[in-house]
Amino acid sequence: MTVSLDIESITAHYGHTEVLKDLSLSVKAGELVSLLGSSGCGKTTTLRLVAGFLPPTKGRIKLGDKDITRLPAHTRNIGLVFQNYALFPHLSVLENVAFGLKQRGVGSDKRRKRAGDMLDRVGLSPYAERLPAALSGGQKQRVALARALVIEPPLLMFDEPLSNLDAKLRIDMRVEIRKLQRANGTTSLYVTHDQEEAFSISDRVAIMNAGKIMQLDHPEVLYQRPANAFVARFVGFENLVPMKVSERDGDRVTAEAEGGGSMSLSQDSLGPIPDEFVLAARADGLSVRRAGEGLPVTLGLRTYLGRAYQYQCQSTAGELVANGPLSDPMEQGGAAVLAPHFEQCCILPVE
Amino acid sequence: MTYRIHPALIVFAAIVFFFLLAPLVIIIGSALSDTTYLTFPPRGLTLHWFENIFEMSAFRRTGITSFQLAFAGTALSLLVGIPAAYALNRYRIELPSWLSTVYVLPILVPEIVFGFSLMKSVTVGLDTPIFLTLLIGHALLVLPYSVRVVSASLASFDFSIEEAAISLGSPPLKTFFTIVLPNIRAGVIAAFILAFITSLNDVSVSLFLTGPGISTLPIQILAHMEQFFDPTIASVSVLLMLVTVAVMAIVEATLGLTFLTK
Amino acid sequence: MKHFRSWSLALPATLAVLLLLVIPVASTIATTFGESAGPFAPYIAFFKSGFRRTVLFRTIEVALITTAVSLVIGFITAYVIARMPGRLKSIAIIAAVFPLLTGVVVRSFAWLIILGKNGILNDFLIWIGAIAEPLSMLYTEFAVIIAMVYLFVPLMILTLVGVLEGIPNDVVEASISLGASPAATFRQVIFPLAMPGLIVGAVLVFTGSFTSYATPQLLGGERQMMMGTFLYQRAMVTFDWVGASTIATIMVVVTIGIVLIMSRIARRLNPMAV
Repeated sequence: MTVSLDIESITAHYGHTEVLKDLSLSVKAGELVSLLGSSGCGKTTTLRLVAGFLPPTKGRIKLGDKDITRLPAHTRNIGLVFQNYALFPHLSVLENVAFGLKQRGVGSDKRRKRAGDMLDRVGLSPYAERLPAALSGGQKQRVALARALVIEPPLLMFDEPLSNLDAKLRIDMRVEIRKLQRANGTTSLYVTHDQEEAFSISDRVAIMNAGKIMQLDHPEVLYQRPANAFVARFVGFENLVPMKVSERDGDRVTAEAEGGGSMSLSQDSLGPIPDEFVLAARADGLSVRRAGEGLPVTLGLRTYLGRAYQYQCQSTAGELVANGPLSDPMEQGGAAVLAPHFEQCCILPVE
Repeated sequence: MTYRIHPALIVFAAIVFFFLLAPLVIIIGSALSDTTYLTFPPRGLTLHWFENIFEMSAFRRTGITSFQLAFAGTALSLLVGIPAAYALNRYRIELPSWLSTVYVLPILVPEIVFGFSLMKSVTVGLDTPIFLTLLIGHALLVLPYSVRVVSASLASFDFSIEEAAISLGSPPLKTFFTIVLPNIRAGVIAAFILAFITSLNDVSVSLFLTGPGISTLPIQILAHMEQFFDPTIASVSVLLMLVTVAVMAIVEATLGLTFLTK
Repeated sequence: MKHFRSWSLALPATLAVLLLLVIPVASTIATTFGESAGPFAPYIAFFKSGFRRTVLFRTIEVALITTAVSLVIGFITAYVIARMPGRLKSIAIIAAVFPLLTGVVVRSFAWLIILGKNGILNDFLIWIGAIAEPLSMLYTEFAVIIAMVYLFVPLMILTLVGVLEGIPNDVVEASISLGASPAATFRQVIFPLAMPGLIVGAVLVFTGSFTSYATPQLLGGERQMMMGTFLYQRAMVTFDWVGASTIATIMVVVTIGIVLIMSRIARRLNPMAV
């Protein structure tokens, strides 16, 4: 049974503080969508609203065709995986997994069997009779996952499930979560502050800030074509240079940066270019050259990255970061130009 | 909170709080009554019974003794308790594990048994002065608070800070006072307050240790009650409640009252 | 000496407890075994006497009832407090702490005023017409128990609020998200996790009421003699120190026995401490 999740213009308050404003989000049946953002952006609040732990002040939440906005939390049938695992410390691993089945009136033998099978799937059968305190962090999270999956919920939600694990385990676990989610085809909402985690695991990612979704799209699109300055900075575009078009010639456009430096751009590769725009580039997307077309800068500190040198550069548009070739190290204080690699840049609207 | 509590439970809790506080209100009321017997609600209002306390030398004398004992006993218990707590936390592996149990013995052994035994072995056995035996009794009675509360705050103290100070040239004893003590301040204050109040209110240990001429306030109150049933006792009780209020105000100002549930 | 520093810091407190508490109490216990009539003579005499047996059983009964009533009242109240919003919670905790910091004598004394022949409870019962003549409630087991419950409920509340607040919120939410109703969550998650705290509270209240002196003295008097008042009477009125030491030894054995047994049970029930 796969259903969609529709959050329709939800507003929520903690006390008198508005934490979500008019937020809408749809997760298609079988899809995994991540909410990505720094702490306090409203991602966990969104999850708690859907779970029923926080009543919205306005708006509607639908699971499939069913309006669940006012439903008591324990009747929503949503599988939840918590950051701190939230295992029942007084119950064995098997009893933890069987807990949800017990609430659903599944008989003792049957729920032991189903919980046992689920433990098998996450590779924890040998630990069935242990208490959670005897498990490692990774094992605890597997139990939490098994416990949420065994009730076969139409919707799974994850609240920073991997943030307490070490780096290596995090990667193993996210692959495992993705495999299980794919195999069951369960619609999922995944909350994290880790960009790599969100991008690697999700069908689509919603980048959130201050209670709003800044952009919701496939990871590839977010990474290469951010829609605004916030998302661009979030996905690592360090350099945002405001520019103005000075000349248009069919597909070719000549633009100038404030305080000097002009370059010619192609609308074929970058898309339509408005008269005023912001050119966004990662350090990789700006090449340091001794002379030529580009943004004039004064070179600052040089650091060695292995594949290239990186320079802190001072320009009239502010501090920029760019990479230069290993074959031609340049000195601090020298003049240079930064030439964009247009296939790695993007055009943002002025805000 | 995710779920509201059943209204019946709230009503129940309200009744419990009434049960907890009403008797104290009744004491205050009876202390103000213009009658020679105890009654509530008070008939006529007077502060006469408060004046009466100060006129009765027995209350004045035992009151002073009780405060002296509480201060000196608490100070003594902290004097030996803080080093013990420090040793237990700093040198955990060097000291045997039963040692921390030794320090809770004074609350594990029934107070009245402790008082009786102290009277038999020390007051009678060694013929010590009454005040000294009382002081020993009170200091030991409150030692568990000193050791355990200070220990609890040392348990969350990062001893590498102390090592950092020593590596920067601070001598160990000075380091204790300049680095360790300020960081366990809350624990020391809490220990002091708990110990002080316990000592001030103690009956069971003092019971056997008081003697001719020297008694403590709670023992004096008990003795007075056996003969008289007038509002003097209520007004002494009100004064003791005021001490409690003062102590709670100190706790609130220094630590916040919620620390008491930890 | 190898651990000179650690021992020199721990020594004063250790010696104080050993010399001034352990030795005197041990000598009290030893007194009871040094009788010429045989090593267990004082205990045989104690349990042969109907009066002394009654005192012991009455004390156990009062302590058990006090513990049970305090557990129920304390747990429900603590549960409500733990769920209160911040500001209200602080007020509730202050209201529970205040009686706790007020002395035993003062708090027992309040019940003398309430339960007396001319006390407010009798006045009230006559006023509502429930009784015609004042009841004599003082110097009964009921009076001792109600005053003891009054004495120990705050302690129970504070112990249990600490325990209930220690139960992580996400564990409760996990239970709800898995379909457990509030009642089922209480039964299957909150109550079992509070069990070690209930045991600690029960031990504190039982040993406290079993060994109390002031409350039985004021509200029970001669008629409702309990172990504490009996010990005092033997020691200071009849000067029967062997008899008093026998009572003291029984108190120590019961208290320490209960503490040891219950802490073992609590440890077994505490899943966090694996």
